[in-house]
Amino acid sequence: MGKEIKKTVNPFVPRPYKVLDFHRESTDTFTLTVKMKIQHEPGQFVQVSIPGYGESPISICSDSRDYIKLNIREVGNVTRALAKLKANDTILIRGPYGKGYPMQALKGNNLVIIGGGCGVAPLKGIIDYIENRRNDYKDVYLFLGYRSPDDIIFKREMEEWGKKYNMQVTVDKNQHSQVCYDAKEGFITDALKNSKLNNENKVAFLCGPPIMMKYVTDILKQKGFHDDQIFISAERLMYCAFGVCCHCMIRGKFTCVDGPVFRYDEIKDFKND
Amino acid sequence: MRILKQEKKRFFEFLDSVKQSYELVAPVNRDLVRFEKIENARDVYLEKNSYFPIKDYFFRKQEVLFKFNGNKIKVPALKEEARVFFGIRKCDLNAIRHQDIVFENSNDPYYKSQRKNSYLIGYHCNAAPSPFCFCGSLELVDYADLMFYDRQDHFLVEVGTEKGEHLVRKFRNFFGESEAVISKDDKIIPGADRLEKKDISKLYEHPDWKKGVDLCLSCSACTSMCPTCYCFDIHDEVSAENTQKGERIRQWSSCQVQEFTKVAGNHIFRKKREERFKHRIYHQLDYFKQKNGINLCVGCGRCIEACPTRIDFVEIINEMK
Repeated sequence: MGKEIKKTVNPFVPRPYKVLDFHRESTDTFTLTVKMKIQHEPGQFVQVSIPGYGESPISICSDSRDYIKLNIREVGNVTRALAKLKANDTILIRGPYGKGYPMQALKGNNLVIIGGGCGVAPLKGIIDYIENRRNDYKDVYLFLGYRSPDDIIFKREMEEWGKKYNMQVTVDKNQHSQVCYDAKEGFITDALKNSKLNNENKVAFLCGPPIMMKYVTDILKQKGFHDDQIFISAERLMYCAFGVCCHCMIRGKFTCVDGPVFRYDEIKDFKND
Repeated sequence: MRILKQEKKRFFEFLDSVKQSYELVAPVNRDLVRFEKIENARDVYLEKNSYFPIKDYFFRKQEVLFKFNGNKIKVPALKEEARVFFGIRKCDLNAIRHQDIVFENSNDPYYKSQRKNSYLIGYHCNAAPSPFCFCGSLELVDYADLMFYDRQDHFLVEVGTEKGEHLVRKFRNFFGESEAVISKDDKIIPGADRLEKKDISKLYEHPDWKKGVDLCLSCSACTSMCPTCYCFDIHDEVSAENTQKGERIRQWSSCQVQEFTKVAGNHIFRKKREERFKHRIYHQLDYFKQKNGINLCVGCGRCIEACPTRIDFVEIINEMK
């Protein structure tokens, strides 16, 4: 899906799509809904352009045939320009790209979803996917960690998630003691460590800062998870998104083609490669 | 394969004749030896290999991917100029082969248009033209449309492809039949097999990789001089008068600089020189092979010759115990 490059199409040229909605999630993140009707898997991404600013790879955080949602954090030139968009504007996109989470193959499992900060965005793609196929999967556990209550994203959706799934939310610091979705102060790793989770019929999906993913995998291993029960979504600088420009290469693997989702045993030995 | 013969005294006449129908590009000896468009056939220089690789003629240093005006995009007309390249050595022919694999697989219209009507005429090295050469350690193949073998008063010309056949038909006056045979041994370039270890996949953690790194200045001369390195970045340039208008440009980039893996938020994945140095060598001698079955490196030695501190990765690998 999305991997076959059509021979007549210039792979560098994005196409215009209409922005349906702009929603501010937190001080520095927002979610765009774009009228782009494509088939895609959770974990895949698109290249979003603002001419004059450049392109950014953004993961798809929805599961619909009618639109895609993109959760974006304002950290660079392109993303800051994207933050100025509003409904009915036009946006240039190419994709989808990459290998997502192997949801089909994991039918019948209990799912443990662990995200940190804006790493929750691609994981929301999984949550929406499950929502549309609830009978295909068993119990769902959500562990979501943020820096502060202000950084929590998908607040609108979280209320529903809390009712349907086993959800735990943590914030590193709650300086103003804000009331927020029962989020405990502390790291998501502590919440995970203190949980009674075992590896029985479970798979874990991770996305977040590299340091968080390292500690989370350590804890999962302690809880009995095998390498092939853990899937992580990697982040790298990328330009082409179809396995040529080489910026996203991790050892011999292209994050944009072989990933961004890797089964842990595929990349566990890689450090700063 | 068909073998023909060209008398050396007719060589310049042949190039002049080619020049009348095609743009002719060949090595010339200016400050350094480089491939240039030939105005005078007598400028063609075959004593040494070109200091600069030939890749810029196909995978351009800078390529305008498209022009934009707001969200309107226009891809420039892609030229498919008929060009004849003369004097390409075996290493560079194979480098073209490897880039053909990369850019054909990704269906790159810019590269393909530069390659489409290009004819590659090779020139066989009778001896290694530089002390840094090691093409004989790598499994290079014949990839020229026509290959010239230097034989004192004449050239033996091996016809390698349909394109080559087209050229010898078109310029038939300059080629005679030959009974000569070009054997496997004739294709071996003496003195160019100094890389001793062919498989470095098990050496990743070897402490000796550090040897080269202390001298590395992260100047990226190695990657820009490499005939196979194909990494690039993409950025937008806007016009000063109207920021809505501009171009999206692709340009060569180098895995030897920190920015190569820098993501939003300023995290750098390969922060240390050793990691970057190893990445380059492993892409050349391991990663590409995993995907495509052949090494990316062609053993031209330019990365070593161009290095201001003369880091010789071949020596480093050879000395690993």
